[in-house]
Amino acid sequence: MVNLIYTELLKLKRSQMFLISIIGAATAPFVCFIAYLKAKSQQPDIPILFTEVFSQTNLFIDLLIGVSLYGVITAYLFNREYIENTMKNILTIPVSRTKFFISKLIMLFIWIIGMTLAAWLLTVIFGLIGQFEGISLATSMLALKEYLIGGILLFLLSTPTILVTLLFKNYVSTIVFTLVLTMVNVLIVQSEYIALYPWSAVQVIATKSFIPEYPPEYSYISILATSIIGLVAALVYFQKEDIH
Amino acid sequence: MSNWVLETKALTRKFGKQIAVDAINLHVPKGSIYGLLGRNGAGKTTTLRMIMGLIKPTSGEVQFFGKSLPQNTQQVYQRVGAIIETPGFYQNLTASENLRILARLRGIHRPDAIQYALSRVGLDKEPQKIVAQYSLGMKQRLGIAAAIMHEPELLILDEPINGLDPIGIQEMRSFLIKLRTEKQVTIVISSHILDEIEHLADHIGVIHQGKLLEEITLTELRKRNRKYLEFQVSNQNKAALLIEQHFQISDYEVRENGVIRIYSHFGEEGQFNQTFVANGIEVTRITVSKDRLEDYFVNLIGGGSIG
Repeated sequence: MVNLIYTELLKLKRSQMFLISIIGAATAPFVCFIAYLKAKSQQPDIPILFTEVFSQTNLFIDLLIGVSLYGVITAYLFNREYIENTMKNILTIPVSRTKFFISKLIMLFIWIIGMTLAAWLLTVIFGLIGQFEGISLATSMLALKEYLIGGILLFLLSTPTILVTLLFKNYVSTIVFTLVLTMVNVLIVQSEYIALYPWSAVQVIATKSFIPEYPPEYSYISILATSIIGLVAALVYFQKEDIH
Repeated sequence: MSNWVLETKALTRKFGKQIAVDAINLHVPKGSIYGLLGRNGAGKTTTLRMIMGLIKPTSGEVQFFGKSLPQNTQQVYQRVGAIIETPGFYQNLTASENLRILARLRGIHRPDAIQYALSRVGLDKEPQKIVAQYSLGMKQRLGIAAAIMHEPELLILDEPINGLDPIGIQEMRSFLIKLRTEKQVTIVISSHILDEIEHLADHIGVIHQGKLLEEITLTELRKRNRKYLEFQVSNQNKAALLIEQHFQISDYEVRENGVIRIYSHFGEEGQFNQTFVANGIEVTRITVSKDRLEDYFVNLIGGGSIG
């Protein structure tokens, strides 16, 4: 497994996708930074608090950018083995399909956490540049915790995206799928269903903004069930599929 | 213990109602170059994919070195190198980085393994070049390097000359022959090009519409399909004596009903005729055969060209 993860890392050398993902991770902090700078210029007397900036950026990541961005990375990690015809090289070594699949998952996890940390760090940096107020170790760490919970839950929810990638073996399907997921997020963000729909429940759990109508268990079960069903389906499909 | 390095038993693959590979029994002897010959879509690649575990057979069995798959996959694939169709590599990496990935996964610890493989195929001159900048021929050579890096006992190559220029084809051919001669590697090569198989293989399996029509050695095949001059004469023994003494020919065959076949001296049928007649032998028929190998395959697969 160590060898598989090492090779997954080596595959990213000179990869443009790595740079693109960093730009993607920077989008939410940058957009929020610009929005707050504009607000500050319009109303200089109202202080802009770090807690608010952290919260809004995280909301942006969890509900809008995260699903699509992580979806593209998921597609890249799995789909490139088909596009570049490398799957058959690896599997005829032989490498166990399950181990190969798990190594991809680990790589995806590392990548998502890396981007989450980058987004958090950039939020801090932009906040300091913008001279936003109220930064402290406690607020920063709380925000980091919320960012990481969001990242981990979005990683867990990547399994249906993996299944879509394995089924259709192209980027377009995955992008359309994640866009649909995001659109639903936007649609229900103001409703109580935000706690039930897995991809919006991420935000609910990360920020502990649970809805009285639905206890936290509903949100947890929604995410876990989606993740497990996606994982089993993707793994079974990958085990059985013919490699052409 | 089986005598075959690779053997399939009634290997079958169906896609829905369509039978892509129909109960194929391949037998690849140790140290041979086995050519799997068939038209495009005949079932060659599907067979090789099943052999390499990329697609699952509907029924039948694959054995490597006398051991069945999939029970012994881990053990036997370590002794096999393969290129199935176009070899795939990570485009953003160099040749040695690509091989490092495969070496790591294969558990190859010899530090010179990558350099050895690259130098064997002449790709060690530009270490900084990434695979995206490689020509198709270079990628094919890199595929070979990946397949031989762990010094396999059996090499399986699916259409390895696809996309190569004539010089590349010649180099590939020499390389494979050298590999067999020097390292005693058994090679299975599939192709739709008869000429290619004829130049390389010593054992041939002809596949058509998913069925293995024939398995034969090239020697037997040539014997069956050699070009010859055929004379029907009144006195076979006297004619044979003349062929040996007058023309110093030993490569000839006396057949039934006064027929003699000579496997050399093409274009000299007039001189043979003159000599026979001058020595009182009546010649009733002279036939000049063509090189019939291609015709043989065309007939075998039921018309049309091999390609």
